[in-house]
Formats: sequence, structure tokens, C-alpha cells
Amino acid sequence: MTVSDTPSSDTPSIAVDALSVFFGATRLLGPVSFRVAAGETLVIMGETGAGKSLAAQAILGILPKGLRAEGSITINGRRVDTLGPAERSALWGREIATLPQEPWRALDPLMRAGPQVIEAHRYVAGLPPEGARKACARDFETLGLQGAERRLPAALSGGMAQRVAFAAATAGQAPILLADEPTKGLDAERHARVVGLLAQVPEDGGALLVITHEVAVARALGGDIIVLRDGRVIEEGQTRHVLAKPQAPYTRDLLAADPEAWPKSENPTDGAIVLTAKDLAVTRGERVLIEGFDLSLRAGERVAVTGPSGIGKTTLLDTLAGLIAPAQGSVQRAAGLGRHAVQKLYQDPPAAFPPHVSLERSLRDIARLHDVAWDRVTEYLTALNLYPDMLKRRPDAVSGGELQRISVARALTVRPAVLLADEPTSRLDPITQRQTLELLSEITKDQGIAIVLVTHHAAIAENWAHQSITLRAPA
Amino acid sequence: MTDQTQTGAMPRPRRAWPRIRPARGLGFTLLALLALCAVAGPDLVGQDPAKQSLLDARQPPSAANLLGTDHLGRDMAARLLSGAQLSLSLAVLSVLTAGLPGTLLGIAAAWYGGWTDRLLTSFADAVLALPGLLLVLMLAAISPGSWWALYAGISLTLWVEYFRYTRQRARIVIAEPAVEASRLLGLTPALIIRRHLVPEIGPGLLTIAAFGAATAVTAVAALGFVSVGVRPPTAEWGVMMTELLPYWREAPFLILQPVACLVITVLALHLSVGGMRRP
Repeated sequence: MTVSDTPSSDTPSIAVDALSVFFGATRLLGPVSFRVAAGETLVIMGETGAGKSLAAQAILGILPKGLRAEGSITINGRRVDTLGPAERSALWGREIATLPQEPWRALDPLMRAGPQVIEAHRYVAGLPPEGARKACARDFETLGLQGAERRLPAALSGGMAQRVAFAAATAGQAPILLADEPTKGLDAERHARVVGLLAQVPEDGGALLVITHEVAVARALGGDIIVLRDGRVIEEGQTRHVLAKPQAPYTRDLLAADPEAWPKSENPTDGAIVLTAKDLAVTRGERVLIEGFDLSLRAGERVAVTGPSGIGKTTLLDTLAGLIAPAQGSVQRAAGLGRHAVQKLYQDPPAAFPPHVSLERSLRDIARLHDVAWDRVTEYLTALNLYPDMLKRRPDAVSGGELQRISVARALTVRPAVLLADEPTSRLDPITQRQTLELLSEITKDQGIAIVLVTHHAAIAENWAHQSITLRAPA
Repeated sequence: MTDQTQTGAMPRPRRAWPRIRPARGLGFTLLALLALCAVAGPDLVGQDPAKQSLLDARQPPSAANLLGTDHLGRDMAARLLSGAQLSLSLAVLSVLTAGLPGTLLGIAAAWYGGWTDRLLTSFADAVLALPGLLLVLMLAAISPGSWWALYAGISLTLWVEYFRYTRQRARIVIAEPAVEASRLLGLTPALIIRRHLVPEIGPGLLTIAAFGAATAVTAVAALGFVSVGVRPPTAEWGVMMTELLPYWREAPFLILQPVACLVITVLALHLSVGGMRRP
């Protein structure tokens, strides 16, 4: 990034000049150059596979074996790319802190929350025992974690665990914070809280470097932005300007893929009722998760179900699918619907296919069992922008987006009346997510299939579905 | 680079040529040779394994007796081949009769769960509580020297491993969304077993089968050696060891032969599944 003031050695800053990452002779990333000074924010945005995380690993000096970085990295006025591994790791937590992806995995599961943060104050920041304890208490107070000191990570909610990890990561007073996909896998509420925490960093005089694929995160944090694709810089500039007036076609696609920007869906069709749930309750063990759930699902209708993690969305879907007997209330299919009229789409497409069998064999099995001509299956595939050649491969040899569309084709083969989709696009890139959901709405509309979509994305629920149901824990 | 979908983006060095596993090749070659010997039996050397000729006792190898003769002048080569026939056919048979029900019961326990699972598991645990050879000895005591007691005893000890392994793996596979999806899509249980379970547990079962066969061969020899299993004058490796043991000083070459056969067989079985996925 171009910054007008001259770099001085004592203000916190990170400067990267012509950074490239190679695998052998293949360039995976770069060249990319930027500078983030105190009080500034830089967002690196791109799809998965764009090389965003490689940049973070190169900065920290933790590139996987076999990868090589070129170019210079300067942290707080000191050239670090020439340093040895020990000297580089000495910078972690003191000069540059990282907030890892899914931070609850970064906590020690056998250590209580307080000591984990005290430890960081003690050994990274070098405070005396009493000072470390006080610093930890202060952190817990500012982060709204009072009373959580004695709890083990397993007894913390995801959002609390994330704040504990944040406290531990920033205890060393490192002026630079590097956050790699900090909002990955979070529900809307925690999402907002993490973005709030991050936005505080530049305000407190730190330098913030955030890697994300979410436009919403970039928009909330502001500052400068670099858009990466296939390791190359597609566009850079002030976040505000780039998001308002993207120059590169790719950036425009990326922005259009943001669910917030999707057009609102048209009014629902007036189809016949295919599935009714009355006064449904969902329990896990003794605990009641959902109570008094009513739903009348019409042919061709799109219903979105949102709610915080752990509220029982997946269990609700399984109950609607008839996989679990309802704890209370009833689920009724319209008369004349067969055993296979309700199908599911899964969050992790590779986990939903037999892994050792070619996709073609899986699909042919189903076509044969249901007396569906193979031509029909290939028609579905073509309609979903897939080419039948792909089916020669095994599930792990096609991309997640392709596999999710193949699983849609697979479900269509049995001519379902209802599709229950459990976060089917949460592991896909924004652009692929939009394509997949658009195809899904087209096909379900054409074929008069009702669909229930579980999502943690409020904007998808709002814009894509005809009807949106938000689940709340019973009081 | 931590997203799941991204593994493809990280190029991995390609192997220049397929890794050669000389040990496995050796195992298969030895197994093929042993199978050949067992199928052809004593006909391979054209001698009767039971024909005594006391005048020709303990002869060194010659054109007529390729591996010499034992203390009763019987042809060693013919006796070893006859022993191979017995040991290997017993091993293959007991592996089949142990493997098939063991695997099917394992799948049944994983599939139905609940009482079926508890009942089968406790039964397997009960069998496991008895040392393997003890069970064979008990059966052998009911019907001393009989071939079927040996076979039934070995099968009864071996099925537990198939059961435990299959049940453990099948439980994991059956709990996967992939199996749930297949059920929703109307796949029959037989097809689910073929598409989901067999590829997952097949290699492991093969390893257990090879190890089981090795156990069976050793058990037959061990029981023969302590005169509980097959009785003389049947040519069996363990029995031969007992018979030739008194002559170990004068003719060490003789007792070494059945020992070598046993070692080679067990080695071949173990090597042939080396480097495969272990259970």
C-alpha cells in the first residue's frame, strides 16, 4: 500500500516488498507489496485457493515444507525474512500476534481459560506473576468474560473461546495483529463481535492485517484492501473505494457474490402443501432445543432456517426428514409421497458420497434402483453446469462446488418433493456459493420441489428464501 | 492454506516411479510356491510319505530322496509336502469359516446396534477371555487326534478378530453422512455394504486373514508337537519335529526341515500383507 508518511523504525508497522511464494519453479503467490502502519488496517481478500493464507505464513515464517518465499518483509523497522527460525519465532506475540482460524482449537483443552491468558502475560509479555494475574483480570473484564477464568475451554461457548484466544494472542502487546479468516464458521452474532474486536486494534494504535473471503468483514473494517486471485493481485486501493467502484471484473463478481448484494427473491408460488410439521419439539438428550415448531411447506417454496450454532438446526432437519422420531408433535408428508420424497443435502459434500467409488457408479446405482434412464441423470448434470466426464472421478477428485452440484443431481434422480439442505454452501467460495444457490432455486422452481435451507448467513435467508424462520432457544 | 477445498492448490511432489515393495513381492512368491507344493502334494516327488524302509533310515539327500529320509526311512520331501497340504488347507479353511461369520456378525452388530450389538460383543469378549490354544486343547480333549476338533477350535478362536475389527470400522462408516444419504436415496443394505463398507474394511480384513492363517499354521504345528493335535504316522510339521527331535545331534539337517517350512510359511504370510493398511 502506498502510505504518504516515511517509514520510521520505531512506529509499529509491517512492510512487505515484492513478496512471492514458490513451489519449485511455480509461483503460488505474488509478487505482492504492501505496508501497514500503526492505526491502519489492511484487508487481503480473495477466494479459497487465492493464496491469502500463504501470505500470512510467509510473514510469520511458517511456510509448509517445500515452499519458498522471496522478497523482503520488514516488521517494526527490522528486516525479518533473512532471520533464522528461532529469531523469527521470537517475534511472535511480541512484535506480531496472530489470531488463528477457529481459535477455540488453539486453546489448550486441559487448561482453564484464566491460566492460559495469564501464561501469555507472564512468559510472552514478561510480567511478574502478580502483574500477569492483574492483566488477565483486566482483559477478561474488557472482553466481557468475567467469571470464565476457572472454566475449561470445553465449557466455554464458541464466542467466549474466541475472546479468550484473542486475549491470549494479544497479551504480548504485539503492535501488529494478523488475523487469518477470523470469522470462519461463526454465526451472525459472534461474527459481529469478532469484527468489533478487530476494529478496536487500529483504534488502539496497532496495525491490523486481516485475511478474509468475506466482503462484509472488509466493509466493516475499512482501511486498505488487496484483492487476490490465483496468487496475483487483481486490485488494490482504499477499501471504501474498491468496494464502491470495483475496477477489475473479478472484484465485481466477488462483490456480487456477497449475499447482502443479492436481489430479493420473488413472491412464493402457490403450490400444494407437501410437508407439514405441527408443534414439533427437538431434544438432545434431556435438553429441549426447539419447541412448538410449525411449518407448512408448499411445492416450489424456499424456506430458510437460521439461528445460533448448537440450537438444533441439523436435528430439526433430520426430524423433518424422518430420520429421527419427533420428541413431540408430528411431521406429515402429503398423501402419495413415496419413501424417498424427502432428500438431504449435506454441509460437507465429500462426506456425503461413498469415498472409494466413482461418482458415476454411485449415480448409476441410484438411477437403476429407481428406474430412471441414465439420460435423465445426464440432463440434470448438464442443467447444473456439470459435464458427465467428471463422473469418472472419485468424490475427492472434484471441487467442493462441483460435488455439491453433483449431490443436487443425485437427489433429483429420485424425484424428491422436498430437499432439506444443511448449510450446503458454507464451505464454498462466495462466487461458487451464489452459483450453487441460484441453480438450486431455478431447479426447485422448475420442478416444483420445496426446499428448506439451514444457514447461518442472515443475508442468504433474507434474500434467497421466500420465507425465513429464525430459531431461538426456548426460554 | 487451511481450507479443505484447497488441498488441490498445494502441489505435492510426484513420485518418479511407483514405490517397489520387495518384501511383499517375496511374500507373494513364497506363498505361490507353497500353494503349488500343497496342491501337488507328495506327487511332486513321486514318493509315498508313509512308506517305511528301516534299512534306509536317516539317509542324506540323494537322487531318490531329495531331502533325505527320516528315522524310519520315510522320504522327507514327501512328508514335508504332505504336511504342507495338511497345514495350508486347514489354515485356508479355518480362515474362511472364521472370516465369513466374523465379518458378517461384525456388520450386523454395527448395523443394528442395541441388543444385537451388546449380545454379539459380550459373546466375542467371552471367547476372547479364553487363551486361543486352550479352546483348541479343550476341543481336542473331547475328540483326541481328530482333524475336525483342531479345525473347529482354530476357527472358533479366529472369528473374534474379524468380528471386532469389522464392527469397529463399520460403526464409524455407518455413522457417516454418506451412508445416511445412501439410505435416504433408497440404496439397499446389500448395496450399502458393497459400496461403503467393503472398500473400507477389505484391506484390513485381508491383513487379518493372512495373520490368522499364520496363527492357524503355527497352532496346528504346536499342537502336533505336544502330541495333542494330529497323531503320527500322519505327516505333519509339528509331529515331524517331535519325531525327529531325538536325532537332532546326529542329523540336525532332518529336524531343521519342518522348522524351516513353518518359518517360511509364517514369514510368507506376514510379508505378503506388509505395507498394507493395518487394522
